[in-house]
Amino acid sequence: MRNILIIARRDLRAQFNSPVAYVVIGGTMLLLGLIIFILPHMSVGGVSVGGFWAIDRASMDQMFVCLPPLLSLLVIPAVTMRSLAAEKGSGTLELLITMPVRDSEVIIGKYLAACGVVVVLLAGTLLYPIAMFWGHWGIGWNLGALDWGPVWAGYLGCLFFSLAAVGVGMMLSSLTENDVVAFFMTTGALFLLYAVGLLVSLFQGSWTAVVEFISFESRFQSFARGMIDTRAIVYFLSVATLCLLVSFRSLESRKWS
Amino acid sequence: MSNDVMIYASDLSKTFGSFRALDKINFEVKRGEIVGFLGPNGAGKSTTMRILTCFISPTGGTARVNGHDVFDDSLAVRESLGYLPQRAPLYLEMSVLEYLRFAADLRHLDAQTFRKRARSVVEVCGLAQVLGKEIRHLSHGYRQRVGLAQALIHDPPILVLDEPTSDLDPNEKAEFLDYLKQIGKERTVMLSTHNLAEVEASCARAIIISSGRIVADGPLDEIRAKSGRVRYVVSIQESAGDGAYRGRGPLPKKSEVEDALGKVGGVKKLGELPTDDRAHAFEVVSEQEVDLRPEIFRLVADKGWVMLELHRDAQTLEDVFRSLTIGDERRNRRLGPQPEVEDDEDDEDEESDGDRPGAAGGDAAEVAAKDQRS
Repeated sequence: MRNILIIARRDLRAQFNSPVAYVVIGGTMLLLGLIIFILPHMSVGGVSVGGFWAIDRASMDQMFVCLPPLLSLLVIPAVTMRSLAAEKGSGTLELLITMPVRDSEVIIGKYLAACGVVVVLLAGTLLYPIAMFWGHWGIGWNLGALDWGPVWAGYLGCLFFSLAAVGVGMMLSSLTENDVVAFFMTTGALFLLYAVGLLVSLFQGSWTAVVEFISFESRFQSFARGMIDTRAIVYFLSVATLCLLVSFRSLESRKWS
Repeated sequence: MSNDVMIYASDLSKTFGSFRALDKINFEVKRGEIVGFLGPNGAGKSTTMRILTCFISPTGGTARVNGHDVFDDSLAVRESLGYLPQRAPLYLEMSVLEYLRFAADLRHLDAQTFRKRARSVVEVCGLAQVLGKEIRHLSHGYRQRVGLAQALIHDPPILVLDEPTSDLDPNEKAEFLDYLKQIGKERTVMLSTHNLAEVEASCARAIIISSGRIVADGPLDEIRAKSGRVRYVVSIQESAGDGAYRGRGPLPKKSEVEDALGKVGGVKKLGELPTDDRAHAFEVVSEQEVDLRPEIFRLVADKGWVMLELHRDAQTLEDVFRSLTIGDERRNRRLGPQPEVEDDEDDEDEESDGDRPGAAGGDAAEVAAKDQRS
């Protein structure tokens, strides 16, 4: 346990010691702000995006439509590519593993650190609802009372979604020695896992059920609407566990290759 | 296995796919020994070290470090080891002090012990000036020192260093070998390198590995004597130039000299050395017991030639190394499937297990001499 925390702390510091984490978090916040507040309202594949001012409701739904894709396409691949692939490539993993630590402690420690970066980002996005709906900011102005229930549910959804997505990223990161490859594999995999839900109408018969079962998007939907769906939580946690097990095996496989 | 054996490898093998990186190697390293682990690139040095440090597992055989099996008890093995991998792969974004603290944390040193140990390794490794610097800003020499410092931070009884001097300049190398002597006073050190001068400077014992097999293991003197051969260099005047020729009869031709030297009893091998057109120079190799100098002198005097040079040297460690490991180089230069002959020769090599590298070594040295000529 202690080793896990030591490794997690080191990794988290490393993430924030390099510009990558700041660029990714700042970029995501900026993109998120642009999409929510500046972009006119439009409908993409049946999902309404942007038009925060046009909707004329005290709601942060827009943010929870945009957060998961941004997390999948940018943040999580950028964070997880460094955790194993880059370390394998540079050889630092050899030095880490030859210290008295278990392989599982290395995987879990790095996983926690990557999740930590995502949590920092999620905490940062709290700025938007706070700025819009809370306090008066010295100008005697806000958009009125926000129902914070769905907002917390949305954040909880984002958190569990991220736990699974970081797991997928770790797994793919453990399979390669090249961080760029890891980045694009993770982006691709998460995009597929997410977008397959948007394409559900293209599938027929029992495939619909399969697609809905797999899709991160379908699972996330209920959270975005303010409902805490325990089935989705179990699903996300299961995906995370499975991916960590695969990462662990993949790390262990160096011994036999 | 006695308590004094710190590293023990028995029939250790490792295959990567169809490539046999290690082929049943056996050795022991005792407490307090500094052992040089020698071999050409790709001979299996790093593979052995990675097995000993539990980074990879052997395909066959057993290895024990400090009495713990590398497979069954790998945490205990890693606790008693300090390891510096090739090229010291450190976290570049950390400062030296942060890195040492991280290594100490993973080894569960408490704050007080860390302070004490840190002071000592900083002094031994000469890191006082760079403690606060980020590792990315350090030269290779300093990175290597940081790597050594992290390997020493928990005061391990055993140190495994994989090519610790490969990236250093000559000054840094000399300093590093000095540290090594200090550090090695109360520790078991296994250090891999392909630089023989370093082994001669810092190790009392060497293990030479070639193509995954141990070809020599023992004190350096023994290894030097191992080839059991002596080399003579003979130069005979070829042309007198502007001066007067002081010999008898006509100036000798190269083939004459070669034939005559070849007929001297006890000559095992004869090779031409590069010279200008004033002399024929030959390298003559013989068994150690016989001294060929009187024979060679007599021959030259009887022929009436003019001898410019005759000297004898025992083979240097470098020569022994070359003759023991040159097969690798030959294999590397040859494409396609290897002929059966090669394998037979290898088996012979294995049987001798380093005790009698003569047969294979002789051939190899011949090739070396040919290489030299071309």
